Amino acid sequence: MQALAAAPAAPALLAQQTVPAPAPEVAESAPLDFSIPDEGADPISRFFSARQFATLKRLCDLLIPAAPGSPGALEARVPEFMDFLIGDAPVQRQQLWRNGLDALESQSQTRFRKAFADTDAGQGDALLAPLHQPWSFEPPDEPVARLLAAAKQDVRTATYNSLERNMAASGGKRPRGGGGLYWLAVE
Amino acid sequence: MAATNYDVLIIGSGASGGMAAYTLTKKGIKCLMLDAGPAVDFQNNHVTKPAWELPYRGLGNPSRLPHVVQANEYNANQWVDEKQVPYTHDANAPYNWVRVRYVGGKSLFWSRMSFRLSDYEFKAKDHDGFGDNWPISLADLAPYYDQVEPIFRVRGRKEGLKQLPDGNFIEDTTSWSPAVQKFIGEASKRNIPVTKMRSSLGRGQLASSLNLLLPDALATGNLTIIPDAVVREITVDKNTGRVTGANFLDRHSSREMHAKAKVVVLGASCLESTRILLNSGIANSSGVLGHYLHDQFYITQSVQAVMPEVRDKTAPAGYASGGGYIPRFRNLQTKEKDFLRGYAFDFTAGGTPDAKFFPLYGKALDDALDAHRGTGFTGTCMGSVLPTFENHVRINKDVTDAWGIPVLHIQARYGSNEFNMAKDAINTMAELCRACGWEVLARRDQPYPPGYSIHEVGTCRMGDNPKTSVLNKWNQSWDIKNLFVVDGSSFVTAGSQNPTMTILSLSMRASEYLAEQMRKGAV
Repeated sequence: MQALAAAPAAPALLAQQTVPAPAPEVAESAPLDFSIPDEGADPISRFFSARQFATLKRLCDLLIPAAPGSPGALEARVPEFMDFLIGDAPVQRQQLWRNGLDALESQSQTRFRKAFADTDAGQGDALLAPLHQPWSFEPPDEPVARLLAAAKQDVRTATYNSLERNMAASGGKRPRGGGGLYWLAVE
Repeated sequence: MAATNYDVLIIGSGASGGMAAYTLTKKGIKCLMLDAGPAVDFQNNHVTKPAWELPYRGLGNPSRLPHVVQANEYNANQWVDEKQVPYTHDANAPYNWVRVRYVGGKSLFWSRMSFRLSDYEFKAKDHDGFGDNWPISLADLAPYYDQVEPIFRVRGRKEGLKQLPDGNFIEDTTSWSPAVQKFIGEASKRNIPVTKMRSSLGRGQLASSLNLLLPDALATGNLTIIPDAVVREITVDKNTGRVTGANFLDRHSSREMHAKAKVVVLGASCLESTRILLNSGIANSSGVLGHYLHDQFYITQSVQAVMPEVRDKTAPAGYASGGGYIPRFRNLQTKEKDFLRGYAFDFTAGGTPDAKFFPLYGKALDDALDAHRGTGFTGTCMGSVLPTFENHVRINKDVTDAWGIPVLHIQARYGSNEFNMAKDAINTMAELCRACGWEVLARRDQPYPPGYSIHEVGTCRMGDNPKTSVLNKWNQSWDIKNLFVVDGSSFVTAGSQNPTMTILSLSMRASEYLAEQMRKGAV
């Protein structure tokens, strides 16, 4: 209502405007430097249970381990990102991840009597054996194999597209330029 | 300001609507064009962004476009919002309806593959006894293909193949890479033809209605375009039975307006045009409006092979590059046991296979990808789908879009003909790769759900008989003489060729006919 009441005054204000004197020449200011939430804040995980999240962290570490000068999935905070992504996904995809993580934990307990999060490299590799099978476009029925097929793709993309990975490739600076063509929303 | 009394109302601004405007306005006919989407400045409407800047790291919002397999986080804004304009299908019969609502329509984003249909499609029933012939032949449409191809600057090579008629091409003078030559050699041993791709070069960044058709139409002074105009229904004079225009809503405000014209030309895309007609309750004395929905089944990455001779960068530069096209070769001179009609492939050599295809992870996967850079060979299979009455769309009155307009329920499935054809296609491609000495990493012989190819056609089919078709051979409604439908919905059968050149040519032909009828006072 306040905006409506103020509206009639606008033409009078416009009429009173005078032509401003030309501004003195100044140098173009440098473009403002913006970043993304991941650089200045910590993610809050909400979707996976504590046990599922621990399993996910170990899985991410096995899929994309860190290497000298190359952050792995943990450094790229991919588990936290996956918690957000899958939490935003349709129910079927959520079930695939939750059921798969639960089944992976269960297999670890059965075979090695320890949590998947605590497995060593050899034990972890043994549990990730489905990833050594030839690729098929038909999603596997078994929950762990199904999870691993999805996680291999998503964890890889989330790591390679992370700010951490790209900063490491740019000598520790936030990289400039590059990327793909992004189609803006049209209103 | 009183509304102008237009000669023709054109609904839709993509390939078909754009060509109608291009043709009619040059003949001095006053046209009003409505499009449901906004006008875009294509040059300035995209920016370069690194994936790390995107909220979903390039993986995209997982709930936003569940039916658009082509969508990613970069192009998500190109596609119609499925919540804003929903549609329904049976849970066990998914349909991927992929839509664009901008001035220029899907012609802003198409793959540019530019083929003619042949009389194997126009006269398909004569050849194999299934379904119906088109009421026209290649000879009827060839003069229009001849005009359309130079506008879109189609590049290709004349091959003299009856199943893939040559066109009015910019000659493709490029050579084949050694790897592709090897593939062609194995294909020729099996009488499988391989051609250069036929593709619209367009101008600048686009080969679109937006830059190739609408500017010329506007330059005549005879075209008015209204973006953001969501058509609810076509209006009819109850006394004469003739259409009088259309009711539409402003996309932003939902303000409802009526656009008046002497003739209505629908070119809103196959299923949107059909939806408008069904919601208007017109042009369906035959009972076939909405039926015979078909497309081409697509299988991308149908066979993923690697070329061992390229592994570890052992091949000379340029050994594996480029691609080509395999036109239909099944059921031409011979007859297959398990399926009618045929399929095509487009293929590329020299890419790097996706990480998913390697049975590895961690550092071993990175090492394998390094070793296999540039070793890939893959093809997309594009198969002919039989048009059947059972595959159809109808109005679902229980669901409406953001403007209160009832949506479509789509009921379509592929049948044994398509599944058998797909198996033969993938077996054939895998055999060719192995004959070249290449290793097949993966193969897929299950098509994506119907709609995935974005080549839906047939729901407003033309024909010789008003009892079995919606349109006559001039894309004119049998029921209402001043109503034309010029998009892909008029197809009788689609073949395995991409449809855009045929849509453009049909629209030009129909528009020339309409202009002549208007000149004679016969519409």
